[in-house]
Amino acid sequence: MHEPHSEQRPYLGYGLGLRPNHYLDILAQRPAVDWFEALTENYLVPGGKPLYFLERVREHYPVVLHGVSLSIGASEPLNLDYLHKVKSLANRIDAAWISDHLCWTGAHGINLHDLMPLPYTEEAIQHVAMRVMQAQDILGRQLLLENVSSYVTYRASQLSEWEFLSAVAEAADCLILLDINNIHVSAFNHGFDPQEYLNGIDPSRVRQFHLAGHQNHGDYIIDTHDEPVIDAVWELYAAALRRCGPVSTMIERDDNIPPLSDLVAELDQARRIGTRILAREDAA
Amino acid sequence: MTPDGLRDLQACFQAHVLHGDDGMLAQVDAGARPSASARLAIYANAYRLRLLEALTTDFPALHTLVGDDVFDQIGRAYIDAYPSTHYSIRYFARNLSTFLAETAPFNATSVLAEMAALEWALTLAFDAADDPVLNEAVLAALPAEAWSGMRLRLHASVQRHDFGWNVAELWSAIDQQQPPEPPAAYPEQRAWLIWRRALQTYFRPVDATEAWALDYLHTGADFAALCDGLCAHVEPSQVGLLAASYLKGWIQAGLIAEIFC
Repeated sequence: MHEPHSEQRPYLGYGLGLRPNHYLDILAQRPAVDWFEALTENYLVPGGKPLYFLERVREHYPVVLHGVSLSIGASEPLNLDYLHKVKSLANRIDAAWISDHLCWTGAHGINLHDLMPLPYTEEAIQHVAMRVMQAQDILGRQLLLENVSSYVTYRASQLSEWEFLSAVAEAADCLILLDINNIHVSAFNHGFDPQEYLNGIDPSRVRQFHLAGHQNHGDYIIDTHDEPVIDAVWELYAAALRRCGPVSTMIERDDNIPPLSDLVAELDQARRIGTRILAREDAA
Repeated sequence: MTPDGLRDLQACFQAHVLHGDDGMLAQVDAGARPSASARLAIYANAYRLRLLEALTTDFPALHTLVGDDVFDQIGRAYIDAYPSTHYSIRYFARNLSTFLAETAPFNATSVLAEMAALEWALTLAFDAADDPVLNEAVLAALPAEAWSGMRLRLHASVQRHDFGWNVAELWSAIDQQQPPEPPAAYPEQRAWLIWRRALQTYFRPVDATEAWALDYLHTGADFAALCDGLCAHVEPSQVGLLAASYLKGWIQAGLIAEIFC
């Protein structure tokens, strides 16, 4: 159902998260990685090593910015100072795009530094969509919003998560960063069918995929990004590719970070799956 | 749910994460395993673990100095006393030294607060602004009559601290993975200078006169005023030589960003 190689959707290929302990290896080895995703807040600093290495990496690879502090679903006004700094950083490195999460991160001036889930309600859709539009006006570009892993279901919720995400993207005319691992984690934690989630997302709004590992505690899964991607997530990734077509894909690793070569090898698995699925779709 | 409802829900959830308030239990589904309280605990635990990890990253020497258990106590108490108000977790620890100085039992001596101050200063130097570094040739090219009115701007990474304990020596030993000596108080406070040159952070002790001169420069004083002030510290006949020697050392160390005349 997708339109392969659509000119509407920029496609970067297969990327990795940019992590400080890989800086030197990236510059020395120039690994076969198509692009890097930099964590926005790590580079909202005045200067020094973080910005130095970000710019060196950018000389050789496309870079996208991925934030955790926009707090697009919070009740307090958007932090305009933060948004202007993000815009300035994006301009400085000519970021291919900017993403953050469909969540809130704090109230009363406090930042919990966590991706807190929103209630899936019509009112929340309107509230978040207004703020996305305001953020996009400031940034001067469309924002990508990522689905987060969640561990609770609010009694107030009236919609499924995918209905909520789709409605926000439609109302605000923003794009989606679809985290395949987060769909798996939340499907397990809340008992929904991940394929139903995928089927509920408009492929034309999906600009990027995330892949990651997690910790399974039996009754629930926690999204930890400290392990390799598991088979069930690879399978869901294949299903997402079948639905959406070529979408820029990257692996997130934030803890228990292995050598760069291990992540490049893991990324090759994504590449193999992508090549296989997309060739089949093209042939069809 | 109205926007007010969203605001209340978020305030309620945050109160659970921060203080364990149980009002949130009524807001989430309680049907499936794990229980609602176990699900909410995931957020409360992750909140503390994430901030503890940030402190561990920023204060490796303090961590080594006090050991795992006390560091955990310090971290959890600090998290409760100074919740993050910055959009970046990088700045979460900015009040740790103040907290250690004002909170028993950690303030039994000032050694913990001073170690935290040193390590925080190093983090600030690490990603301070990329100021230019003045070249000696610029100074050499300055006409003699311009010297008295010139003002020096210190590099953005330059910080001055006074320590009563040997925290800098302890930090170096820990950084080199040597068994640190027990903390020791200096006979009197010593002045230290922390800065970054290119991508490398440095610290070194400075004597009281040089510390005064750097602090005075930082207020925007011009070179003539600096020389006048030095007369209170050394014989007037030595002031010119001393000021020139300081200036040369500061430029060579990369402490001076610009000269204004």
